[in-house]
Amino acid sequence: MITRDSLYRRLLTWLLLPLLALGGLMLFQAWLDARQTADRAFDRLLEASTLAIAEQVQWQDERLWLDLPPVALEMLATDAEERVFYAIYDDRGRFVTGNAELPGMADAATGADDELHYRDIQWRGMALREGIRRTRLEDWRQRERFEVRVAHTQEGRERLAHQLLRGNLAYILGMALLAAAILVIAIRTALAPLTRLRRAIRARDPRTLAPLELPLPRELAELRETINELLARMRRVRANQERFIGDASHQLRTPLAGLSARAELALRQDDPAQWHQALVAMQETSARTSRLAIQLLSLTRLDNPEYRPELAPVALDELARRTVKQHWSACHRDGVDLGVEAPTATVQVQGLDWQLEEALGNLIDNGRRYGARRITVRVTDAPPVLEVEDDGPGIPATKRLLMLRPFHRGSDDPDGSGLGLAIVDGIARTHGARLSLEDGHDAQGLRVILRFPGDPR
Amino acid sequence: MKHLVALFVLLFPLNVIAEVVHYPADTERPAQLVVHGALDVSHIRPLLEDFHRRHPHIDLTYRNLDTLPLYRRFLASPDKADILISSAMPWQYRLANDGHARPLDTPGAQDWPAWARWRHELFAFTFEPIVMVVRRELVERYGRPDSHTELLATLRDHRDELSGRVVTYDPQRSGAGYTYAIEESRLSPRYWDLVTALGDVDTSLVDTTGEMLEGLSEGRYWIGYNLLGSYARRVVNADPDLEMVVPDDYTLVIQRLAFMADQAPHPSSAAHFLDYLISEAGQGVIAEQTSLGAVHPALSGPGTADAWRAEHGNALRPLTLSPGLLATLDDLKRQALLTRWRREFGREDASR
Repeated sequence: MITRDSLYRRLLTWLLLPLLALGGLMLFQAWLDARQTADRAFDRLLEASTLAIAEQVQWQDERLWLDLPPVALEMLATDAEERVFYAIYDDRGRFVTGNAELPGMADAATGADDELHYRDIQWRGMALREGIRRTRLEDWRQRERFEVRVAHTQEGRERLAHQLLRGNLAYILGMALLAAAILVIAIRTALAPLTRLRRAIRARDPRTLAPLELPLPRELAELRETINELLARMRRVRANQERFIGDASHQLRTPLAGLSARAELALRQDDPAQWHQALVAMQETSARTSRLAIQLLSLTRLDNPEYRPELAPVALDELARRTVKQHWSACHRDGVDLGVEAPTATVQVQGLDWQLEEALGNLIDNGRRYGARRITVRVTDAPPVLEVEDDGPGIPATKRLLMLRPFHRGSDDPDGSGLGLAIVDGIARTHGARLSLEDGHDAQGLRVILRFPGDPR
Repeated sequence: MKHLVALFVLLFPLNVIAEVVHYPADTERPAQLVVHGALDVSHIRPLLEDFHRRHPHIDLTYRNLDTLPLYRRFLASPDKADILISSAMPWQYRLANDGHARPLDTPGAQDWPAWARWRHELFAFTFEPIVMVVRRELVERYGRPDSHTELLATLRDHRDELSGRVVTYDPQRSGAGYTYAIEESRLSPRYWDLVTALGDVDTSLVDTTGEMLEGLSEGRYWIGYNLLGSYARRVVNADPDLEMVVPDDYTLVIQRLAFMADQAPHPSSAAHFLDYLISEAGQGVIAEQTSLGAVHPALSGPGTADAWRAEHGNALRPLTLSPGLLATLDDLKRQALLTRWRREFGREDASR
């Protein structure tokens, strides 16, 4: 059976178990006490009986003589009808009289005139309590020592002990019940704010991210503050998302409106040459729009915090050359000088080649688009770094962080989507790499640097 | 009595004649039961017959023994008898005290009055006052002694006339006589005056109530002192010359004690028999067909403890089932008491 973990149960277990153990201990103690009390009470009977017998011991006919008083035996038996045994022994341990040869004590007499011992013995299969009185005759001439041994079975003691224990038991049980009840109430009361918090959270409108406002004890107030901080973060995230969506739809609307207007305009014409021109323009716009959509998609995917792609070793130098080769013709057409600087040895990092390719492509594109004449893709080893440097207008240091936000553009280039650097930033985060924007060579242009973490091996 | 086979056997080790009654069972594989009792067959026969009628599958053997042989025989072989019945209360008590008895755990045993049992092991199932029996001659000449005081006065006043006419137990030879002596000496110091007076009239000392009754019937004795009331009643009822006197100052009451032997060879039959003895049925038989006196609290009327109490309530002194009985058996105490008894019995009454 699987028991569900619960604070309530945990508290109850850890408080009740020690309580039970304590109760058991008290019970054991009570039992010992009851036995002791019963023994004390009944040992008085042994004492009185031995005394009554000892007083009747005389010196007669050159020997110890006893006129046994029946009451000395009667007093040993209570309502529990104990079996009763007695015996007199002389100084040399010889049996004088009695109804049983009761065992004596092994230890030597202390020499005191009158001493009394009690002990539990097993005798002929019976558990007996024995009282032994060592004393001497009170006679002028005879000072003979002798021993009176009496014993009885323990039913009376057990009965009394049980009675005492029953009394204590009721008391202890009552206490235990009371303690348990108080415990349950206390735990319930202590855990009540938790229930309140749960209810407050459950009762909230699922769309609202307003902070929780309810009075709670200190421990839970901390939890409430943490939740509120989380909510605040979520509010910021949502604001970002809303702005992003707004921007994205705005970005998509403009080219779509353009397409629509161009088509409308073309439809009013009859000249196929005009149509052709319109279609070329529309194809250009739609290609740009589709690129924008693709960028939005990849940005959305990169922004998803739960997106954890499987990374594989990627050779940075090879990747740089490949990408440069892809973009070379476009750059050449625009008169941009695109080149690669890479070490002869392979530089490997953990990553996704297609993402890195896209990042690199974006950066080359950016440089080309913002008027660079020369773009250099550089790969260095130890630590692995991928950088793209151009000699374009660059970005003022104060605006560099802003550039990483989606839809923020350095200029009013109609072709740029404003997503390029944001996507590069997302890819850098996916790879655990640090993205930094710096001045280019001779404080001209822009240098975008991706520093990969540690050693790939 | 077709089942009844009575036989007399000579018991060689104890040199005592034991009377044996045997009720064979009516089945092929009977349950056995051996009862040893110090209770005359004539008294226990109705009980045995009724029990046998109720439990015909039990092969029942009853052996009648005197109290002391019964005790010694049991100690010598405690696994031979299932049930022990004896009027020698101290001896029976001692056996139970030493752990020779097996507790009986039946509803009947639970309900048995506490004053007539000990630990559910020892059960007193009869109620037998100790009485005096006097002959018509005595009553006619000197009046009926209704109490110990009056008996003492009669003995003192008519010492010569009553010489040799009084009989009682010999406490030195009879366990019953010793028990009565020790109990009476505890009840009153004047007992010793009575012993002296008994000695002065040369009282005959015998072993059993039977002997006393025999002498009284024959006219040899005029006063019998300390007879078992249960035995005396039958003889007195049959003999118009005899009268039973229940002393009105004090009357000792002894009770037959029965217990199951711890090493009983047939414990199941033994439990049946003991339970029967204290059942209303068994006690009813005791009340109606014997003179032993039934103890069962549900029974009243003639032949019950209840009737005795109604008639002689204040005087009855039943021996209590308590460790005090053990003191009776103390060797030194016995010697002391018998020494004193002999001394008092042999002493001339100084008051004359």
